[in-house]
Amino acid sequence: MNVQTNAADIVSVSVAGQVANPVLSGLPAEPYRLDADGKAFLWPTFGGIVYNVSVGDSAYGWSGDCVHPGVSIAHPDANKNRGLNVFSCVGNDALVISGAAQGAKGVVTGKSGRFSDQVIVHFDEATRRKIAVDDRILVRSEGVGLAVPECPDVAFKSLAPSLFDKLPKRLSDGVLQMGVVAVVPPHFVGAGAGLTSEGGSLHIQSTDRDELAAHGLEALRLGDVVAFQDTDSRYNHGYLRGAMSIGIVGQTDGPRAGYGPGCTMVMTAPAGQLGCYDAPGTNIADLLALRP
Amino acid sequence: MAAPRTNETTLVEMAVAGAVTTPAVRPGQYIHYPDGKGAVLPGMYGVTYNVRCGDRAFGWAGDHVEPGVSIDDDGHSGRHHALHYLNCIGNDAMVTSGLAAGARGIVVGEHARILVQFDADAHDLIAPGDRIQVMTKGQGLRLEDYPGVALKKMSPRLFHAMGITEAAGRLHVNVAIELPVRIMGSGAELNSEYVDQDLMSGDRALMAELGIDQMRLGDLIAIRHADHHWGRSYREGAVSICLCIHGDSIMTGHGPGILTLMTARDGEIDFTIDAAGNIATLLDLGA
Repeated sequence: MNVQTNAADIVSVSVAGQVANPVLSGLPAEPYRLDADGKAFLWPTFGGIVYNVSVGDSAYGWSGDCVHPGVSIAHPDANKNRGLNVFSCVGNDALVISGAAQGAKGVVTGKSGRFSDQVIVHFDEATRRKIAVDDRILVRSEGVGLAVPECPDVAFKSLAPSLFDKLPKRLSDGVLQMGVVAVVPPHFVGAGAGLTSEGGSLHIQSTDRDELAAHGLEALRLGDVVAFQDTDSRYNHGYLRGAMSIGIVGQTDGPRAGYGPGCTMVMTAPAGQLGCYDAPGTNIADLLALRP
Repeated sequence: MAAPRTNETTLVEMAVAGAVTTPAVRPGQYIHYPDGKGAVLPGMYGVTYNVRCGDRAFGWAGDHVEPGVSIDDDGHSGRHHALHYLNCIGNDAMVTSGLAAGARGIVVGEHARILVQFDADAHDLIAPGDRIQVMTKGQGLRLEDYPGVALKKMSPRLFHAMGITEAAGRLHVNVAIELPVRIMGSGAELNSEYVDQDLMSGDRALMAELGIDQMRLGDLIAIRHADHHWGRSYREGAVSICLCIHGDSIMTGHGPGILTLMTARDGEIDFTIDAAGNIATLLDLGA
């Protein structure tokens, strides 16, 4: 259903970053990370241009650690990168402004947090093949300040008004109910807890595979819309009975303890003002008609 | 009941030094309550004169209050990490410069800085920049008969003081409080050898219902279904034994800091709730 927003009042501002290169730790050349069993592994992780993982693909099963689909961008200045990370919203338009792919258009699909702080942008594969590391990408940011007058206790973050309009939802008795693929129980909330909820990601812990499957979280796809039960994301992410947050799966699973699929959190309310219902298949690759 | 066998005689004791830190206020100055209201509160860095290990963890007009003296080497990342990775709870420390030179203290926690507690007379004389040296010992400590149990930041002194017993192939530990795994928050992104993980105290009614708001700095803590071997994650049946090292926070996703001391996946650790399970008592830190 259509729910009225204050979209007409939202200020749209340019932010920009550069295509990030993957980074590994320095000398003494110890490239490994440890999985939750203490075993060293060496896999691609965040950053860079990822050619063959896209929004809509499975979040699981890749030989990668919290891989960002598509193209990851960041600004070399920490404060400006914060501007890029906070103001970019899922569903915003992006534009390549330098390099061989200059003029190509993309869409923001997620963000990552502490230790990477990148914005994740979808481009079709042909465009990805033309983009170079360090190419400049402009994001037409729009969404910070989004509100729904009928639901004043629901906070919106990192969400383009145009994407909100496309998300499945119902408004009943003043409660905004969002259609989601799955519900994440609070004991699965991992990395990102206690960190800012205006940018970054909140990860679904995936170490205990049986428990993951018991909650229907083993088949998530990149771009799926999920709910986090008892999670208050108004100012940082934290535990609160009755709170709920809505996230969009932004990056893949990984084998490290405390990590798992990362989500960009887009809506939250502290005391039952936000709910959810089963809407299998709700994925932003379809809603935003992302080109493969 | 016997105490479990360890490899204590093989441990290497090594000096690592840091300097007393100066309180810093984060950019923007304000931190936020869950409803967004801003506040400026003391608690981290420096010498905390009136909060000691054994005091309450909740109710201070402060945020992430660090008991004792907070030391770091913030000019050199390699030395910072050595300070963090080699320090163990219960290690001896001494002041090596300034008016309090020669005073002896003990490591009571690891937050973003190492927390060392001295007696009140020494705290009065210690100044930011003074050098503190820790005689670190404990990394590498293991239980010979329990390969599935990991010990972290456990000095031999603390290990013996905890009075861990074994019966029927399981270890038994007395702890002050049990925490539900669903409230474990900030720090999930870190490995479990470094710093701590805050319990999330934002559900104030739950803190009162479970008596968590009675927690004291230095309390031993048990968490079921928390595997802290290499990082911290949910794993059915695991048990971790931890330590409360800093005070509560107003910020969402934060709360008293909980540092890992022991962890096991397969039921090797059992525990009993006992209010005396606090290192201020066990290590005889004085009031």
